[in-house]
Amino acid sequence: MPLLADTQRRLRRAVVTGDAAGIERLLVGGRRAGKRLAIHQRQYETSLVTALLGKFPATAWLVGTPFVVEAATRFVRERPPNAPCIAEYGGDFPSYLSTCPGAERVPYLQGFAQLEWHLGHVAVAVDCTAVTLREFSRIDVDVLPEARLTLQAGLRYLPASWPIDNLMKLYLTNTAPDQLSLARCDVWIEIRGARGEFQINRLEAGEFTFRKAVLEGRSIGDAAERAMESNAAFEPGRALAALATDGLVTAITLGAHGDKS
Amino acid sequence: MRLKQRRLHGAGVGLRLPHIAEVVATRPPIGWFEVHPENFLANPHATELLSELSQHYPISVHTVGVSIGSLSGIDRSHLKRVRALIDMVDPILVSGHLAWSTHAGDYLNDLLPLPYDEEALQLLAAHIHEVQEGLGRPYLVENPSSYVGFGMSTMNEVDFLGELVRLTGCQLLCDLSNVHLSAHNMGYDAYQYIDGLPADAIGELHLGGFTYEDDEANPGAELLVDTHATVVAEPAWDLYAYAIRRFGPKPTLIEWDNNIPPLAILLGEAARADEVAAQAIAPEARRAAAR
Repeated sequence: MPLLADTQRRLRRAVVTGDAAGIERLLVGGRRAGKRLAIHQRQYETSLVTALLGKFPATAWLVGTPFVVEAATRFVRERPPNAPCIAEYGGDFPSYLSTCPGAERVPYLQGFAQLEWHLGHVAVAVDCTAVTLREFSRIDVDVLPEARLTLQAGLRYLPASWPIDNLMKLYLTNTAPDQLSLARCDVWIEIRGARGEFQINRLEAGEFTFRKAVLEGRSIGDAAERAMESNAAFEPGRALAALATDGLVTAITLGAHGDKS
Repeated sequence: MRLKQRRLHGAGVGLRLPHIAEVVATRPPIGWFEVHPENFLANPHATELLSELSQHYPISVHTVGVSIGSLSGIDRSHLKRVRALIDMVDPILVSGHLAWSTHAGDYLNDLLPLPYDEEALQLLAAHIHEVQEGLGRPYLVENPSSYVGFGMSTMNEVDFLGELVRLTGCQLLCDLSNVHLSAHNMGYDAYQYIDGLPADAIGELHLGGFTYEDDEANPGAELLVDTHATVVAEPAWDLYAYAIRRFGPKPTLIEWDNNIPPLAILLGEAARADEVAAQAIAPEARRAAAR
């Protein structure tokens, strides 16, 4: 008599891979109960493929729905979700897509799909009240370099080697020409959103590096040094002021004691 | 302002993301809403809207990702996230499924069947205790929609559910559409199934649409599939009326998860549930008045 562990292992394999050989003899329901496992297999596969298509409509527009469906079908078989919130499933789909046969003809595919993934996430974020420039001005300039900033939840920073931001805007505005020639170029993209809205901003390299480093939890001084390495003309004071005036900072943590403002 | 009314009146509908903005804007006349927490946990904006709605409507939380039947155990981090949502919306009911969906870290996004034997019974009882403790509330367990069973089962589903109630003090969520569907697919009597359930443990009823397919296991026959993609079928309404007569009026939910229609369609189905329930209990009330 098979134990529950063995039964669940076999059923998992049948649902994810379609290999029902190990479970059919345990089942009852109709004359050939194993045939009914197709309902569970279909629910697993169809629901997840549909979920991925719902997250990557622009990517499907770019490379065609059949390409994305085929990749998604393989993806759900090879990489089942590891958490119950399906909204969180698919973060590694862009990199998976880029390994699929035919993807080599679209070298910006991974970056474009990553941009779309981020758009979906920032659009459901919730903005918090931002720290004002006046509040920044009250901080002693001597302690400012050690300060760390908390930024709005709906912010992402994505570097790319192709102008994927322009491509995405063509999709979003439904203004793509019949033919388009893309030239490789480095771009630094800020994706910002909240409560159903989003925007895509192109930054210059220094400001991008600064904001990304701040978002990752680095101190203002550390972030500024990194920014100056990527752009010697980077101006920390101006960049910090821009962060505040853009409403991106929600909290300031000062020094080693972690005092929050 | 917290909601003062803590009882569910009439039928409710499943609140899905495509309708949430409309519901916030129009506040439709409906007794209550049920939500799947897994739709909200990764969506702060929707959660914010749900929090607002919870000030105006009773909310029921129906988990689809708390896998009480998995041998690999309850996902405690997920349970904590569900608890946080529950603490925010203060639901009137919290429920889940007699099923399993996780295996060794994989989440299979389906409600998979269990054998009904002593090993599964003890496992589920332990997990229901863990869930009730983790959520700080009673948990209602829903009967599944079945396409297959297991030859190794040593008890039927009704007895299994009854034992779970006895061992854990949990309540039951009786999905009448699932009862009709499973009875059709597995070849038993839906009305006897209702008769066998412990009436005192029934805390909620569900109704959802199913679709018909060719049954590959029985060539020439039809299989009912729990798609939640259409209106409630007539046999399920009949069973609902029977259940109301047996269990008394219970909070009843209209579920619709695929091919989601305009909200007005759902509200119409909920209104029909109220009518069917009223008609079902009317003879009983007349008899009681006559006595």
